[in-house]
Amino acid sequence: MNKLSYVIKNTFINMRRNPLLVIATVLAVLVSSFLVFTTLSGRAVVQNNTSRWQNGVHVVIFLDDRVTTTAHKQLQESLESYPEVRMVDYFSKDEATEEFKILFKDQPELVQEVDFEILPSSLRVNLNNPSDYTLIIERMEGNPAVKEIRASGEAIERLLSLTNTLVLAATVFAILIAFAAFILIINTLRLTAFAKRKEIKVMKLIGASSTYIRLPFIFEAIFESLLGTSIAVGLGWGVIQYSKDSLVAESIFDITISDGYLINLTLGLILSSVLFGFFASYVGIRKALNE
Amino acid sequence: MIKLENVSLVFQGGSVALSNITTEIKEGDFVYLIGHSGSGKSSFLKLLYRDTYPTKGIIDVVDMEVSSLPKWKIPILRRKLGIVTQEPQLLEDRTTFENISFSLEVLGYDAKEIDAKTSTLIDLVELQDNAYKFPYQLSGGEQTRVAIARALASNPLVLLCDEPTGNLDPDLSIQIVSLLEKINRAGTTILMATHDSSIVNRRKKRVLELSDGKLIRDETEGTYV
Repeated sequence: MNKLSYVIKNTFINMRRNPLLVIATVLAVLVSSFLVFTTLSGRAVVQNNTSRWQNGVHVVIFLDDRVTTTAHKQLQESLESYPEVRMVDYFSKDEATEEFKILFKDQPELVQEVDFEILPSSLRVNLNNPSDYTLIIERMEGNPAVKEIRASGEAIERLLSLTNTLVLAATVFAILIAFAAFILIINTLRLTAFAKRKEIKVMKLIGASSTYIRLPFIFEAIFESLLGTSIAVGLGWGVIQYSKDSLVAESIFDITISDGYLINLTLGLILSSVLFGFFASYVGIRKALNE
Repeated sequence: MIKLENVSLVFQGGSVALSNITTEIKEGDFVYLIGHSGSGKSSFLKLLYRDTYPTKGIIDVVDMEVSSLPKWKIPILRRKLGIVTQEPQLLEDRTTFENISFSLEVLGYDAKEIDAKTSTLIDLVELQDNAYKFPYQLSGGEQTRVAIARALASNPLVLLCDEPTGNLDPDLSIQIVSLLEKINRAGTTILMATHDSSIVNRRKKRVLELSDGKLIRDETEGTYV
């Protein structure tokens, strides 16, 4: 018990020696952890949304107004016969008009101005595998009953590609800042160890074990790492809550992210920060102890 | 208590610090390790508390085979030894009381034991009036006394002193030796490295003399020749 109180007391004495370095370390860990938290949360949000979109309509085939009911039924049957297709729904001009009115209910001027006659009827195709949209486009191209084909897969792929690029960039940035935090922790501990070199020498002569000498340094590094990560995670939760309540939530983007995912992410980051602090302290103090 | 068999220490680069040393120090002995600067006295002591390890030979200290001692067992060995270096190595920001209690704190004593034992050690080294002074307020002899008290915190079986009187005038040196004799009478084995002939000649004890890393003399009640 007395040994534990010694370790805890010395952890805080060590930190009082270099307050600015401690603050810099905590900030670096904070920024790095915040980037990791927001990047992974953001990726989860995008994945949730894309999978939601992927479960919906994948290809919309707009029909020529001149097409007869028989022709569109033939086209629908032919689409339904493809093994890639799960379901095909016919969407008449009237249904398209109703959908338009619902979508733009907040802009009555627009609804008043639009000539609904220009809205085409369509076949909305849901695929077993959303990435097969190109096959449908190939098969439908040149069909006289088809006016235009739109595939949500293209947009989703572009979004995923953009997201992946952003995730990669943020990850690289987070790693760089984590590395800076790592160096800062090592530097802080080395300065502390240098200031306490006589104390360490005396402890070694008295017969204190390496672990015992190391513990205040390990505690310091873990404390700094944990503090930075905890603030980052708190900010991350705040950002998600704010995003849910903000305008972004009213757009097509759904900010819903499961609590389970966030809790796992939080625990993962906290555990990582403990390991990070432990490893940094191990490297930081190794030389001082071997002298 | 301490046994060396054919111990040699050769530094990287080939310079020989100790060559083929064989000797034994029994429990309760008071032994002077003498020799000129560079004769190997400090290396001899460092081998005993495993600050360095021999190139060859066997070293046995307080029933521990030091020459092949794994690193993690070094603290166990050192808790059985008291080590006093020429520079007292006191912590400048702590008082006499705190410098001594620091050892006890590190060794895991509880607060009550620390207070009681520190007071006892302060009485033993006769620093009652200096208990709350900082090292810079103490004389060289007083600082050495604090270092001795700190070394005694773990109730060591052996006290290894590396020129503890090296920076002191003759009167203070005699006081320190008197203190070490008092500790020796209480049962602690003492090995004291010194090149102070006046001490060795005045307080005749067993003498081990080193010259160029070789043990050239082992005399009971020896003198500094």
